[in-house]
Amino acid sequence: MKILLAQLWAEIKKEHRHSFHSKMIYFSLLIWPAIMFVTAYYSFAPFRMGADSPLARFIDPDQLALFLLTGYLGYIFYWCLVQSAWQMSFERQAGTMEMIFISPVNRLTFLYGRSLSSLVQGVWLFFCFVLLALLLVGGIHASGWWAIPLAFLVLLISAVVWGGFLSVLFLFSRDSSFLYTVLDEPMLIFSGVRLPPLAFPFWAKLISLCFPLTYALRLVRSLMMEGAGIAAVGTDLGLLGIVLLLLVAATLFLVKRAERHMKETGNMVLY
Amino acid sequence: MLIVENVRKVYRVKEKNGWFSGKWTEVEAVADLSFRMEPGKIIGLLGINGAGKTTTIKMCSTLLTPTSGTITVDGYDAVRHDRLVKSRVNMIAGGERMLYWRLTARENLQYFGSLYGLAGSELRERIQSLLTQVDLLDAADTPVERYSKGMKQRLQIARGLINDPRYLFLDEPTLGLDAPIARQLRKHVKELASERGKAILLTSHYIQEVEELCDEVYIINKGRLVAHDTPAHLTQSLSQQTTLHVEIPALGDTLDHDLRQLALRHGGSLDISLTPEQSWEITLSAKMDLTAPLLSLLAAHQSAVLRLHTKQPTLEDVILHMADRRGA
Repeated sequence: MKILLAQLWAEIKKEHRHSFHSKMIYFSLLIWPAIMFVTAYYSFAPFRMGADSPLARFIDPDQLALFLLTGYLGYIFYWCLVQSAWQMSFERQAGTMEMIFISPVNRLTFLYGRSLSSLVQGVWLFFCFVLLALLLVGGIHASGWWAIPLAFLVLLISAVVWGGFLSVLFLFSRDSSFLYTVLDEPMLIFSGVRLPPLAFPFWAKLISLCFPLTYALRLVRSLMMEGAGIAAVGTDLGLLGIVLLLLVAATLFLVKRAERHMKETGNMVLY
Repeated sequence: MLIVENVRKVYRVKEKNGWFSGKWTEVEAVADLSFRMEPGKIIGLLGINGAGKTTTIKMCSTLLTPTSGTITVDGYDAVRHDRLVKSRVNMIAGGERMLYWRLTARENLQYFGSLYGLAGSELRERIQSLLTQVDLLDAADTPVERYSKGMKQRLQIARGLINDPRYLFLDEPTLGLDAPIARQLRKHVKELASERGKAILLTSHYIQEVEELCDEVYIINKGRLVAHDTPAHLTQSLSQQTTLHVEIPALGDTLDHDLRQLALRHGGSLDISLTPEQSWEITLSAKMDLTAPLLSLLAAHQSAVLRLHTKQPTLEDVILHMADRRGA
C-alpha cells in the first residue's frame, strides 16, 4: 500500500511538473469557464424566465446564475482532470510510455495518478468558484460546513475515475483522439451543465445516465444550492458510487486488454 | 540466466486497399531464435535494418509477447511472470527520447525509480550514486531540455540502471554521439559487465563497438539466427577472402598475363584499372593471403610497387556477406 501511494504521488508530481510549468495556466484556467458561463447566462436572457416559464418547472429562475455556475464548475473540473488522458499521445511520442510499461508499476496507479495530477488546479478552481458565488452571485445554501468539502470530494473522485477510464482508452490506439469529440461535447450537453436532465426527453435522459458528471452535478447542486442533508443525498451518492465502481471495473478490464494488445501488436511505439 | 528458446514473433499488418477494404498479412519479425545471456557477459545482436534486433530486445524486456517459444529470466517465464521479470530487466536506447525533458535529471530518476517501488533514502542514495557514475551530478537539477545529446544519453544510462537490473538491453546506445562521448560510454558499459556482473545485450550499427565490447555475437537476418561465435572467430571462420590493393607505375602484357594466371591458380578474382595519375591499380582477392606470391611476381617482372595494402575482412563484411547469402 505504501509503495502504491508513493507511486501515485510520483505520477502526480511528474505529470504536474510536466504539464503545468507556468503559473499563468492557473489564471487562464479561470478565463475559459468565465467566458462559457457568461455566454450561457446571456443565452437565456432573451427568453422569458419568469415563474411560469417552461424552465421554472426544473430550476428556480432566481438561481439560474448559480445553476450555470455549478454546471460549468463541474464541467471544467472534469475537463481539468481528464486532460491528462488526451496527453497520453505525448508519452507515446517521447517513448516514455515504453519505459512505464517496461516497469512493474501498478497500471491503475499510473492511470489515476495522471488524472490526479490536476488536483492543484481543481482545488484552485473550486476555491475561486466558492468565492465568486459567495461574493457576486449569492444563493449558496448548504446545510452544514461539511457540504462544501463533500461537494468537492464528489467532483474530485468522480472526475479522477472518469479520467482514468478515458486514459485507458488512449492506450489502445494513437488514433483515440476522436473520443474527445464523441465524449466531451455530449457530456457538456447531456450531463446537465446548462439544462437540468429532468427537462430532457426520455432518450436524452438515458444518455445522461452514462456520464458520471450527471450524478456528480446533481449531488453538488443538492449540497450547495438546496441545502440537502446527508440522508437526502444518500441515494444519489449510492448511485454515483455504483457508476464509479462500474467505471473502475471497466478500467481494470480494459487496461489488461490494452497492455495485451500493445504487447501483441507493438503499437506502443506508434504515434 | 536469461534464456531465449525458439522464439518467434509474427505481426499482423493491415494493408489498406482503398477506403473500406484492407487485407491482413502476417510479417515474421523473428523466427526460431535461441540464445542466452549470462551474468558478466556482453552479447551482441547484429543484423542489417529489419533483421529483428529491436523486436528481440522488446520481447526479452516484456514489451512484446512472443508468438511462440519461451523466454525465461532466472527461471521465470517472461509472459506468465512478467511483473517479476520486469524488476530484473531494463532497456537503454540510443537517441534523446524516453526522458521527460521538462523535468530535471533528478526528477526523472525519482519518477522512474518510483515505478520500481523505490522510495525514500534508498532512492535518494541510488540517484546520487548513478548521477555520480554518469558524471551528471553538477547538472542534476537542470531541466533535461537544456542538456546536450551526450548528457541526455548518459542520463538514459542512469535511468536504465535505476532498478539495478541484472539484465540490460542496449539498443544502439551510442547512436549519434561524438567519438569521445561514445568511447566513454563504451568504457562504462564494459565496467557494468566486468565489475558489476550485469548481463548485457547490445545492438549497434558501429561494428567497432561490437568488436570491442562483445564476448559473443549473434548475427540475425530476417529474424533468423545465421551465425553465433566470438567476434574474432566470426571474422575468421566466415571470412570470404583477403583483398590486396597494389599500385604499380607500368603494366606490360606479360605481367598482365601472369597476374591473371596467379588469380586463376588460387581461385581468386583480379581487377586492374588505370588511376587518374596514370599508374595501375591491381585489386586481387582470394581465399588465402596472396601477398607473398604477388610480390614475388612483381619482383620477377622488376616492377616497382608504389603502394600496397591488405584489407582483412571485418565483422561488418561478415554481416553483409551473411545478409547477401540469405537474401540470394
